[in-house]
Amino acid sequence: MILINCPYCGEREQSEFTNGGEAHVVRPKDPDSLSDKEWGQYVFFRSNPKGIFYERWVHTHGCKKWFNAVRDTSTDTILKIYKLSDRRPEISEFQTTLKSPSGEPIVGSGNFAVKK
Amino acid sequence: MSSIENSNCNYITNKKIKIFFDGKSYDAFEGDTIASALIRNKIKLIGRSFKYHRPRGIYTCGIEEPNALVQILNEHNEPNTRATIKRVYDGINISSQNRWPSLAFDVGSINNLLSPIFSAGFYYKTFMGPRGFWKKIYEPLIRRTAGLGKPPNNFRSKSIHQNHNVDILIVGGGLSGLIAARKLIDTNYDVLLVEQDSYLGGILKNSNKVDSIDGKKTTDWINETEKLILKSNNIKILKNTLVTSYNFTNHLIALEDKFVGKKIDLDKSELILHKIRTTNTILANGHIERFISFRNNDLPGVMLASSFEKYIHRYGVVPEKNPVIFTNNSSTFSLVKSLIQQRCKPLAYIDARKKEDIEDELKDYLKNHDIQFFPEAEVEGCQGNKEVEKVRIRTNNSIISINSSMLCISGGLNPDIHLFTQSKGLVKWDEKIITFKPNTAFQNTITLGSVSGNYNFHKIFEEVEEKLSFLNINKYVAKIEINVEDDYSITELWETKNDKKSNWSKSFIDLHNDVTTKDLTQAIDEGYDRIEHLKRYTTNSMGTDQGKISSINSLGIVSKLLNKKISEIGTTTYRPPYAPLSFAAIAGRSTYEFYDPERKTPIHNWHVKNHAVFEDVGQWKRPWYYKKHEDETMHQAVQRESKQTRKTAGILDGSTLGKIEIKGKDALEFMNLMYTNAFTKMRPMTSRYALMLGEDGMIMDDGIICKISDKHFIATTTSSGAPKVLAHMEEFLQTEWPHLQVYLNSITEQFTTFNISGPKTREIISQIFTEIDFSNEKFPFMTFKSFNYKNTQVRIMRASFTGELGYEIYISPEHALELWETIFKHGKEFNLVPYGTETMHLLRAEKGYVVIGQETDGTVTPVDINFNWMIGKNKKDFIGKRSLKRSDTAREDRKQLVGVVPLDKSQLIDEGQHIVECENLPKQIKTPIEYLGHISSSYYSPNLNHCISMAMIKGGNKLIGKTLFVSTPSGIKNIPVEIVKPIFIDPENKRLIS
Repeated sequence: MILINCPYCGEREQSEFTNGGEAHVVRPKDPDSLSDKEWGQYVFFRSNPKGIFYERWVHTHGCKKWFNAVRDTSTDTILKIYKLSDRRPEISEFQTTLKSPSGEPIVGSGNFAVKK
Repeated sequence: MSSIENSNCNYITNKKIKIFFDGKSYDAFEGDTIASALIRNKIKLIGRSFKYHRPRGIYTCGIEEPNALVQILNEHNEPNTRATIKRVYDGINISSQNRWPSLAFDVGSINNLLSPIFSAGFYYKTFMGPRGFWKKIYEPLIRRTAGLGKPPNNFRSKSIHQNHNVDILIVGGGLSGLIAARKLIDTNYDVLLVEQDSYLGGILKNSNKVDSIDGKKTTDWINETEKLILKSNNIKILKNTLVTSYNFTNHLIALEDKFVGKKIDLDKSELILHKIRTTNTILANGHIERFISFRNNDLPGVMLASSFEKYIHRYGVVPEKNPVIFTNNSSTFSLVKSLIQQRCKPLAYIDARKKEDIEDELKDYLKNHDIQFFPEAEVEGCQGNKEVEKVRIRTNNSIISINSSMLCISGGLNPDIHLFTQSKGLVKWDEKIITFKPNTAFQNTITLGSVSGNYNFHKIFEEVEEKLSFLNINKYVAKIEINVEDDYSITELWETKNDKKSNWSKSFIDLHNDVTTKDLTQAIDEGYDRIEHLKRYTTNSMGTDQGKISSINSLGIVSKLLNKKISEIGTTTYRPPYAPLSFAAIAGRSTYEFYDPERKTPIHNWHVKNHAVFEDVGQWKRPWYYKKHEDETMHQAVQRESKQTRKTAGILDGSTLGKIEIKGKDALEFMNLMYTNAFTKMRPMTSRYALMLGEDGMIMDDGIICKISDKHFIATTTSSGAPKVLAHMEEFLQTEWPHLQVYLNSITEQFTTFNISGPKTREIISQIFTEIDFSNEKFPFMTFKSFNYKNTQVRIMRASFTGELGYEIYISPEHALELWETIFKHGKEFNLVPYGTETMHLLRAEKGYVVIGQETDGTVTPVDINFNWMIGKNKKDFIGKRSLKRSDTAREDRKQLVGVVPLDKSQLIDEGQHIVECENLPKQIKTPIEYLGHISSSYYSPNLNHCISMAMIKGGNKLIGKTLFVSTPSGIKNIPVEIVKPIFIDPENKRLIS
């Protein structure tokens, strides 16, 4: 279980929070002007990268506030936490995957020794 | 019964106690484990093995034990307890496992002779057919024979949880752990030292390897160190505590046993689950000895050499005066010295290493003490009936047989890398010590001592000094005197060549799961050449011991078979927990009534008094139905309640309905966005049935919205949907429309709600709220009034979920019960009946009202249930609006809500049944039958005297008037039904607006 530093309450256990999926997916201003495909893209599709990921969290069992986080999904390390009103940090601010948990290459997973 | 003795051991008292094993009473000393007590009593046969029911004895002296698992009868029948860990107390009642009718004569041991069919992949290959055999024959058979112990018979809450936040956690209070702790005394770090045994010291107390430290005897040094630690202001020691998992962000779980060697107190928690957060973790958890595979290496009497030595030093018992020792490394020398010290003598010392690699000191010692020495030799196998009788030694290509009842083996030492790999650290194969050792840490993890692959006592101070140099700590260096040369040397040996081949003779690689080396060979022949596949196919190292003494051996054997290096084979993944911990320990106090909060309405006690039977709705306890008398069935009660409500009046405790208050300048705009309905033109003090959709256009929740003004709304939600709806609103408010000035507040518990309905309702409540005009003109359907009543405020809304004239009364909880009873006083002359959720469901089904989660399942749009009228089409936007126009959502052949009535009115339809076009199902289904939809609700209507159902059917709207068929739970004959509009009573709403 990781620790999450709520920008309003401070560092708490992950179990107090709920993950809200990818961040910075803005609801279209005029949904009617979108094609089925464009609208479907907004409703159903989210990215799922291995590495740097911008995501939303809500402090469900706490202040109930939503905020954003940048997390390295391969190491489960939270690199930055910022309020919704804050500027989206550039991806260049972060080092990509320092080392993944089992030392595996960026793509794929499994037994590191067998995989070569 | 032989007399027992304690040979000068500090850790065992001389207080004799009585223990019971398989019904017989034995003497033991306080401080003994079950294993040491049984060894004292010369008991070797402890249990039967998992698959072949072979006789098994005590193999080790610790957590790694694969064989000696027992059941503790007087502790709720606790199964699979490790005899090598569990400490005894007076009167403990122990039973062996996996044998019938008795341990000495076990019928299941026939499996051993049938073993050719129990080979690798047995389950996957055997239980494939014929059809129907699985359910009737295989499954019951496997269930009876599976597992080892029997389940405990009384689960109870027995653990509490404790949190720690420290700077440094030291896992293991052995030599290196203690040195690290001494260096940390009175520093600025908060330190926690965790030791699994009741005594500190680790290898110092378990063996004879170290003579003195800092010029003091080892026991004195340990005591001195412990005293210094206890005196310090920053280090805490947890004994009898086992670290079981090492998670992300230096979060570790440890389990403390508070009742070691004591009878458990049923009123007290016997376990503490420690949740530890730390900045740095020092792993000093030592090593585990591994075994060697040879013929019948599982016979009682075969024991790991270091464990044998531990029994001598830690428990003061010599398992056997003249054992045979078989080793491939230098670590067993200290065992020989320990035995000689006890005036015992090994019968033979078999060393697989080359003559020139064997230490001169050892050779001389064996010679001086006249111990038979077999260098460059190996044990071919051992024989005996239920225990070792003969050990056969292969030397110079000839076999020598020695009569002995005990064989001590050592296949080398493995750093205990479980926790290190759980922390996602990387391990590396070391050719010199022939094992995996920690290489790259993933977290702030430091390994000290033998867990890091350093088996050399002389280097230990240096190692600790170097690895902890990044901390600001004390200087502490001392001299260590050792008893035996500790330049560890080992030769690779995983399995010895065996001469005799028979079904009884087996060479085991996993004692716990009865996996033989032959199984590994066979699995590889069948193509399972990846170690993770091989493990699962053969179940190797998948027992509760996780193959602690054997998993590296299997890598060795596999590497030989595949002709690869072990570093190329890799390890299997080590996962928590390190050792089994019971679910009760994890559950902590979250059991029974503490598992989840129970929510009760202010009227709850009245319901209980009036014989309500309760139903769980989310966390709420809701009356399901009321038993009028002892013999009344649920069906009878529901029919009675439903009939009475339509005849005169009924009342439902609706307090569980979620209520959310929406306030603020932009409340109207917000509500228009959240719900499908249009609220702009709605007059103040009116209410409206409303739908909430997800962004995918599917129905999420429903409820009634009361509009007090454009700036103030109250929304009701379904009972279980309230938290979800509030969270959903809050999410959009914060993330999408932060510019809207709106505040949300849950007021579910601030208002108690009664739903009273039926033709006589108006007469009843007019008598109570005398100042209010309840006439149809002054108080029309879907309006509400707030007014003062006694010392509180009451809000009454005219609404109905039954189709009858009805009102919802909202009152503060402290006045609720009084009002409820007043209503009953006035309702008596009209036979007012309290009804529960089941009647509520029946009444609404008669009227064709849907229940979210019953008719809908997250794939249903408002259009699918004929709620087109609820969609504010003129609104520019609301959540889910655009999705309703998606090609898939707008399809005409989607499942739509219809009513279903059986043609033969005496027939009953079951919920969940399928709707099909054919009257009879074929005896054998060759081509799939087209499925049109399913029955979502079905009730027997007492007001219509036949069964009424609601169903979701493909293109249902076009099927009204058609005859279709509904399947039954049994048989191939379907029920012919007519598809009708989903409304059965009062389609013109005359009763509703009367």
